[in-house]
Order: sequence, then C-alpha cells, then structure tokens
Amino acid sequence: MRISAIAKNTFREASRNRVFAVLVLFCVGMMAFSIVLGRLSVHEEVRVMMDLGLAGMDLVGVVIALFLGVNLLSKELEKKTVYAVLPKPLPRSQFVLGKFLGLGGVMMALIVAMSIVLNLFVLFVGGDVSEVLLRAEFLVMFEMLLVVAIAMFFASFSSPYLSAMFTAGVWLIGRGSGELEALAAGKLAESWVRFLVEGIVAVVPDFSLFFVSGAVVESVRVSVHETFVPWVFVLSMFGYTLLYSFAALAFASALFQRRDLT
Amino acid sequence: MSIVVVKDLKKTFVKGFWRKRHVALRGASFVVEPGEIFGFLGPNGAGKTTTLKILMGLIKPDGGEALMFGKPCGDPATRRRVGYLPESPYFYDHLTANELLDMMGALYGIDAATRRSRARRLLEQVGIAHAASRPLRSYSKGMLQRAGLAQALIAEPELVVLDEPMSGLDPIGRREVRDMIAGLRAAGTTVLVCTHVLADAVTLCDRVGIVVEGVVRDQGLLSELLSPQVLRVDVLLRTSEAASAAIQGKFSDAEFQVTAEGTLVSLSAHERLNEFLSVCIQEGAGVLQVTPHKETLESLFIRQAKEGMAS
Repeated sequence: MRISAIAKNTFREASRNRVFAVLVLFCVGMMAFSIVLGRLSVHEEVRVMMDLGLAGMDLVGVVIALFLGVNLLSKELEKKTVYAVLPKPLPRSQFVLGKFLGLGGVMMALIVAMSIVLNLFVLFVGGDVSEVLLRAEFLVMFEMLLVVAIAMFFASFSSPYLSAMFTAGVWLIGRGSGELEALAAGKLAESWVRFLVEGIVAVVPDFSLFFVSGAVVESVRVSVHETFVPWVFVLSMFGYTLLYSFAALAFASALFQRRDLT
Repeated sequence: MSIVVVKDLKKTFVKGFWRKRHVALRGASFVVEPGEIFGFLGPNGAGKTTTLKILMGLIKPDGGEALMFGKPCGDPATRRRVGYLPESPYFYDHLTANELLDMMGALYGIDAATRRSRARRLLEQVGIAHAASRPLRSYSKGMLQRAGLAQALIAEPELVVLDEPMSGLDPIGRREVRDMIAGLRAAGTTVLVCTHVLADAVTLCDRVGIVVEGVVRDQGLLSELLSPQVLRVDVLLRTSEAASAAIQGKFSDAEFQVTAEGTLVSLSAHERLNEFLSVCIQEGAGVLQVTPHKETLESLFIRQAKEGMAS
C-alpha cells in the first residue's frame, strides 16, 4: 500500500508536468514532419515514417526519462515535501522504489501513447502495422525504464545538473559501447587506456541493444523493415533491464538511506 | 515509561567545498512524559528543528540517544504511533487536501474507507473542509498549516510532534489550533511542540525545555522554572506635580514616568510597597493600579539565551 501510494502520487505529479506535455507534442510534431520527408523520398514514405518515428520516440523518451528521473528525488528535497512523507512508517528503500514505479508507469504510458500515434501515422502513409514495430517499441520502453533507474541512482547523491550529465554520459557510452570495444581492441590495444575503456564498457549498460533497427545483432543485420530481433530477444532485454534497474535502485536506496535530509 | 527520551544528542553538519563545520547539537537531553504537552523552546538556530528531525529519522545523530516509546526513533513500527507537522509544511501542490490526507493515510497503512472518514472529520476540524477539493497550490500559508495539522493526525497517533504549529495563522486560527492541541491532551495524546512564540507555550504547555546553542539549559514545569519572587511593582498614581515631587523625594530609587493614564512608578524595592502607598495617601495622591511583576517565561528565555551564548 505504501509503495503504491508513492507510485500513484509520482505518476500523478509527472503526468501533470507541462514540460512533459511539450516534449510529447514535439515528438508527435516530429512524426508529422516525417510525412513531409516521406513525400520527398521515392516511394519510401513508410520506411521514413517508421525510422523517424522510432528515433523520435527514443530521443524524446530518453530526454523525458532523464529530465524527470534526475528531478525525482532532488525536487522532493528542494520543495521539502519529503519532510512530511519520510517520517511516516515508510522505509526509504520503499520510497525510492515507489518513485521509480510511478515514473516507470509514466514512461510506459508515454511510450504506449506515442506508439499508438506512430502506428496511426504508419497506417496513414499506407503501411501495415505489424508486431515488428511493437517489438521495437517495447525495446524503447525498456530503455526508458533503465534511464530512469540510472538517473535516480545519480540523483541519490548528486545535484540534478550533475546527475543529468552523469546519466547522459552513461547513456552515450552505452549507445557507443560497440565502437568503444572496437577502439579498445584496435588503436588502444597496446595502451593501458584499453583496460579503462573495457572496464567502463563492462559496467555501463549496453544501450545500443535497445535500438537495434539498422544494426548488426549476433552477426545478423536487423531492421524493422526486414528481419527484426525475435520476441525472445525482447524478453531477454526485459530481464537485462530488470537486473540493471534493480542494481541501480539498490545503490540509490543505500545512498539515500545514508543521506541527512536537512 | 517516558514517551520521548533524548539523551546527550549531538549533531555537527559539515557543508560546502571547504567542509565548514557547524555544531547544531552539543549534547541535548530531555524527556517527554505520557499525556503531557511539552514545549521545546529556543531562539532561532538553537537546534530545535534538528532535534525534531533526528526524532523523525530525517537526520542521523553523531552521538547520544533519541528514543520514542522506548525504541530507536528510526524504527518504522514506532513511526506508526507518531504524527508530525514539519515547520512551514510543503506538500505536493498538485494534490487536493482530500488527496493529501488519502496519500498520508495510505503511508500509515490505513484502509481506504477509514482514510476517507477521517479525512472528512479532520478537514472539518481544522476548518478547511470547504477547500477540500481544491489543489494545495491555491492555499494560503495558514490553510497549508491547517492541512499539515490534519495530515499529522490522520493516523490518530499517540504522540504528535509539531514544529511551529502556529506559524502563518491569524489570531483566530491560533486560537483554534491551541484549542485543538489542548483537545489532543484531553484525549490522552502526548504532544511535543516546538515554538518560539512564548505566549503559546505559556498557555499550552505543561512542561517546557529551553534549548540554547544545542544544549537544553532548563526543563521542567513552568511553575518550577519561573522564580516566584516579585521582581518589581508598578504603581499607577493620579497626582499633582507637587505631590509627585514630594513622593519622588522620599523614594529616589523608584522610576517615575508620566503617562496618559497618570504617573507610573516602578518600585524595584517592592518590600517598601506599604510604606510607599502610605506616603502616596498622605500626599493626597490617588492610587489607580498596583501591578506586581514576577519572572516571565520571556525573561527566563532571554536570560537562558544570554547565558547560553556567553558560555
């Protein structure tokens, strides 16, 4: 009951955030603009729409997850709302978990809403709505949840600005993990920096696995237009998200537990 | 068993890049007994709010002990029995008062039907039932304070901790909140109230503790703490200038002041009051009023604050 009370409140608060609404409108606008871009291409309206739509969802989703995730705990401290909540019989770990679940719910609702809009646009330009697109949208949703968890981890001990920078850094490293591995094995092979790069890549979640359209996965080139990753892969990424999120939230709870709320 | 036991509580804050240290509590000790209203008094920055935040588990002490119901204050089972109103309370401003109480009740594990009925009763009691469905962002400071009181009482706690409960309230609101606190005591609830409004403390509290510079310098019943000794007597006279000069000649140590109501004489040597009154009557002066002045909580508070700062 306690965790759900915090989650419900977080959901309500985040979904009423104006910045959130502006970013969603921006995403829908971007999808609408891809209709124009599709017209400029030669019979590739559906392809342009799906690629730009998914990329827009992913980008806007990451920005929203980052923005809301880093502010989740700091806003409570800054607005002093936490002083009325934490003296209740509520362990801080449950508070952190409730916050995550609430924001996770917002991100899920956001991705569902944007997916519906994207599918409608795809239908509008004459394409078919297949479960392939659904698989890609699920992966984007998992990515958002993981970004929220990592943002909360950094926010548990640093300022919102630093937390945003750290989270964005982790996301960029995660997105470029393949390139970084190649760099470590190639140009940096003889240098000690190689071990540093390899260590960072090993610890940071591989965010490139959440946006695989156009990439090579297990030696196969996958795309939402042709052969895409199977449901087993999507499920395994759900497990991956859960594991990393659990670790990030466990650290966040431990750090938040030690914090003096002055 | 004492409801709250604070023993030798210490806390130092380290802040900023240069790790500047600020000692907030230097070994504060006090107890709150069952069913009483205990006033925790002190000047700004004395360590009152830090002590309450330690009791509420928001801050960890560096040393000493803070127990509620005989258990460490961070214990969730203990917190089920405590209601807390923070200083200048801030709540989620997107919520209505109804939603706030519902959420706070859920945090105590109270079922939905009980939450609803208690919320209705409490909002009525604190006088904001008419605004129960309005978002808190539209509330005035006084209304927020009332909403804060209601959320502190949602679990019908055995101990209520109130940090500056009168802050932001108009005179009628102060009176209502004072009555509410007195009502809590009548119902057997223990109240720990932190305030710097001494008039409220005098009216409400059974016992007080005065904290200065992080140390509780005095605690006990108000009647025990305040000296029964008369410090001075003020006598208001209706008199002519000649008579006034004659009286002044015989009592050179008294202070004479002409006011709109008459001549006000302050006698520090109050044991000479009878003699003074006889002289006044002999000189034909009319005695309008005689007011003895004992030590007030304010003078005790100021004395303790000065001593504390000097030491």
